[in-house]
Amino acid sequence: MNQNYEYFSYDDDIVKKFLLATMIWAGAAFLFGLLAALQLAYWPLNLNSEYLTFGRLRPLHTNAAIFAFAGNAIFAGIYYSTQRLLKARLFSDLLGRIHFWGWQLIIVAAAITLPLGYSQSKEYAELEWPIDIAITLVWVVFAINFFGTIKKRREKHMYVAIWFYIATIITVAVLHIVNSIELPVTFLKSYPVYAGIQDALVQWWYGHNAVAFFLTTPFLGLMYYFMPKIADRPVYSYRLSIIHFWSLVFIYIWAGPHHLLYTALPDWAQTLGMIFSLMLWAPSWGGMINGLLTLRGAWHLLRTDPLVKFMVAAITFYGMATFEGPLLSIKSVSAVGHYTDWIIGHVHSGALGWNGFLSFAMIYYLVPKLWSTKLYSLKLATTHFWLGLVGILLYYISMVSAGITQGLMWHAVNENGKLVYPDFVETVTRIVPLYWVRALGGVLYLAGFILMAYNIWKTLKTAPKDQKEPTYAALKPNFESSSGETTHKKLEGMGLVFSVLSFIAIAVGSIVEIIPTLSLHKYVEPARVTDPYSALELAGRDIYIREGCYTCHSQMIRKLSAEVLRYGPASTIEESMWDRPFQWGSKRTGPDLARSGGKYPNLWHYRHMMDPRSTTPGSIMPNYPWLYTKKTDYLVLRKKLSVMQSLGVPYTDEQLAQADLDAQKQAMSIVEDLKQNGVEDPKLEEKEIVALIAYLQAMGKKERAE
Amino acid sequence: MKQEALLYFTDTWLTLLGLVLFFSFFIIMLIRVYSLKKEYFEMMSKLPFKELEDER
Repeated sequence: MNQNYEYFSYDDDIVKKFLLATMIWAGAAFLFGLLAALQLAYWPLNLNSEYLTFGRLRPLHTNAAIFAFAGNAIFAGIYYSTQRLLKARLFSDLLGRIHFWGWQLIIVAAAITLPLGYSQSKEYAELEWPIDIAITLVWVVFAINFFGTIKKRREKHMYVAIWFYIATIITVAVLHIVNSIELPVTFLKSYPVYAGIQDALVQWWYGHNAVAFFLTTPFLGLMYYFMPKIADRPVYSYRLSIIHFWSLVFIYIWAGPHHLLYTALPDWAQTLGMIFSLMLWAPSWGGMINGLLTLRGAWHLLRTDPLVKFMVAAITFYGMATFEGPLLSIKSVSAVGHYTDWIIGHVHSGALGWNGFLSFAMIYYLVPKLWSTKLYSLKLATTHFWLGLVGILLYYISMVSAGITQGLMWHAVNENGKLVYPDFVETVTRIVPLYWVRALGGVLYLAGFILMAYNIWKTLKTAPKDQKEPTYAALKPNFESSSGETTHKKLEGMGLVFSVLSFIAIAVGSIVEIIPTLSLHKYVEPARVTDPYSALELAGRDIYIREGCYTCHSQMIRKLSAEVLRYGPASTIEESMWDRPFQWGSKRTGPDLARSGGKYPNLWHYRHMMDPRSTTPGSIMPNYPWLYTKKTDYLVLRKKLSVMQSLGVPYTDEQLAQADLDAQKQAMSIVEDLKQNGVEDPKLEEKEIVALIAYLQAMGKKERAE
Repeated sequence: MKQEALLYFTDTWLTLLGLVLFFSFFIIMLIRVYSLKKEYFEMMSKLPFKELEDER
C-alpha cells in the first residue's frame, strides 16, 4: 500500500436506510394528502371520526410531506453526496444510526399525536414540546455528524452543495429552537412564550424559512450535486452558484412577513417582507438558470432519459414557484390570493414539482448505484414522470383557478357598496368542482408514485445478494494555504468560519425583524387593551386548537374594504395580544371568525357543530359529534391559567384558584340558555361543546370594560 | 379606514436598515466573486466528478 494514501469506504448503508424511509413516508404523505383533498370535495369522507377529520389530517399530511418524505430524502442525498464531495466516510456510523432511528421515531410520534389532537396549531410546527425537544436533539446529532465529516475531509475545497447543507443545518436549528420556545402545561400540552403579533411574526419567520431552509436550500445543494452527475457535465456557472448561495441565504430570512400582509402586523415589517420577497426573484432565477443550463449541449437527453426529465421538470417548478412566491408577496396580489387555495396551489407546485420530482430523480439515480444493479424499467420511470406531471398540472391549475375565483368573489362589491356574495358559503360551493379536479391530480401523482415503488422493488430484487463495501484510496489531506490564495478560496476551505458567516447572514434579518416586535408595548394602544379569556373560554380555545379549526378559519380581518364590509372593523394588535398561540390562520375554507362572538345565538353554534348543514346549507365543514360526548377537563384549568399568568397574562390569583368553579358557572349559564331554547341533553355542562361555544362567543368581544 | 391602515406604519428606519444592509452585502459579494480567476471556478465545478475507484 502507498504510504501517501489513506484507504477508506463510504457509509452507504445509512444512505440506503434513508432512501427506503423516503419511499415509505412518501406513500403515507401522498395518501393523507389525497384523503384531505377528497374530504374538501366530499365532506362525508371526514367519516364523523375525530381522528380522521380534516383539521387533524391536514397537519398530519403537511408534517409527513415536509419532515418525513422530504426530510428523509434530504438526509439520504446529503449523506451520499457529502461523503463523495469531501472524500471521507461519515464522521460516525453510530451517530448516523441515532439520526436515522431518532428521526423515524419522531415521525411515528407525530403520526400518533396529531390524529389524537395534540397540536400547537403553528403550521409545520404543530408537534408538542417533548417531540420538539427530540427534534432538537436529533438535529444536533445530524449536525455533529455532518460537521465532523467536514472536519475529517480529504478534499480541501468545499463544493457549493456543501455550503447549502451548512446553511440548512444552521438555519433550521435556529428556526426550530426560537419558534418552539414554550412552557409545558401537561405532558402533551404547552403554550408558546410569544403572544399575538409576536407569535405571528415568529411563526411565519419560521414557517416561511422552513420552506426556504428545509425545502429549498438542501434541495438546491442536491441539485448542484445530482444535476451535473445525471447530465454528466459540470454546473453551468460556478460563479453564479456563489452569488446564488449568498444572495439566497441573506435575503430569504427577511421574507417571512409576506405571510401577514394587511394584518395587524406593524407595516414596517410587512414592507420589509414584501421588498425582500421581490428581491428573491433574482437569486432564485439565477439558481434555476444555473441548474437548467447545466444541460447545455445535452438537451437531447430530455427526450430519452427519465431522470433528466424529472430533474429538468423539478428545476422548472422551482423557477415557477419562486416566481409566483414573490408575485404573491406584492400587496395588491396578496389581497386577492391570500387565504385562498391559490396559496395551496403555489406550495404544491413547489412540494410536488420541485421537492417531489427532484427526490424521485435522486432515488432513481441512487438505487441502482447503491445496490450495484440496473433500474428495472426506464419505461415505467418515464410513465411515472408523465403521470406525475399531469397530476401536478391538474392540481396547480385547479387550485389557482379556485383561489382567484374565491378571492375575487370575496372582494366583489356592487354599485351600492354592498358585497355581491355576502354568504361566504356561496364562495365555497362555487369551487367544489375544482376540488374534485385537484383530487384527480392527486390520484395521478399517487399512481405515478406506486409505479415507482414497484419499479424500485423490482430493481432491488435484481440486486446481487452479496455486496461488499468498496474501498477507496485518497491522498492524505494537506490543507496548508498557499500564499497566492485569495480570501475567498481560504474562506471556502475553512468549514467553521464559513459556517459562522452563514449564520451571520441569516441572523441579521432575523434580528432586525423580530427583536423590535418583541417589545409589544410599543405597539399596544392602552385604550384598546383587551381582557384575557375566561377559564371556560380558554378551555374552548384549546378544543378549537385541538380540532385544527385554524386550518380552515382565520381570525384576522385584513385592512381591506371588502373584509371590513363582510366581517367588521379590521383586527387590531390588541385583540390577539393574549393569544397563545395566535390563531390568525392562513386559509379560509370557512369564514373569518375574529368577530364571530355574539353574531349567532348559542343554539346556532350547538346545532352547527353537530351538523353544519343544519344552519348553513351547502357547508363542507365536517360534523363534530364527539364534542357532545367528551367531557371538558375542568381540573387542568387552574394549571393552564397559572402557566398563562407566568407568561404575563393578567389573571389574578383569585381567578387561578377559582378557575374550574368559574368555568363551571359560565358553562351552566350557556346550558341554561340552550335548555330554554329546547336543547335536552343531560349533563351538558360537562361536555366540550359548551366550552367551545363559550370561546366562539368570546371572539371579538374582549374589549376591556371602562 | 386610511388612518386605521397607517396606524402601525412606524419604525421606517428598520425598513431602510434592512435595505442598506442587503445592498452593502450584495455589492461586497459581487466584487469578491468577480475578483476570482476562471481556473478556480473550473476546478470547483469539477469536484463532483472527482470519483474514486474501488481499490479492492
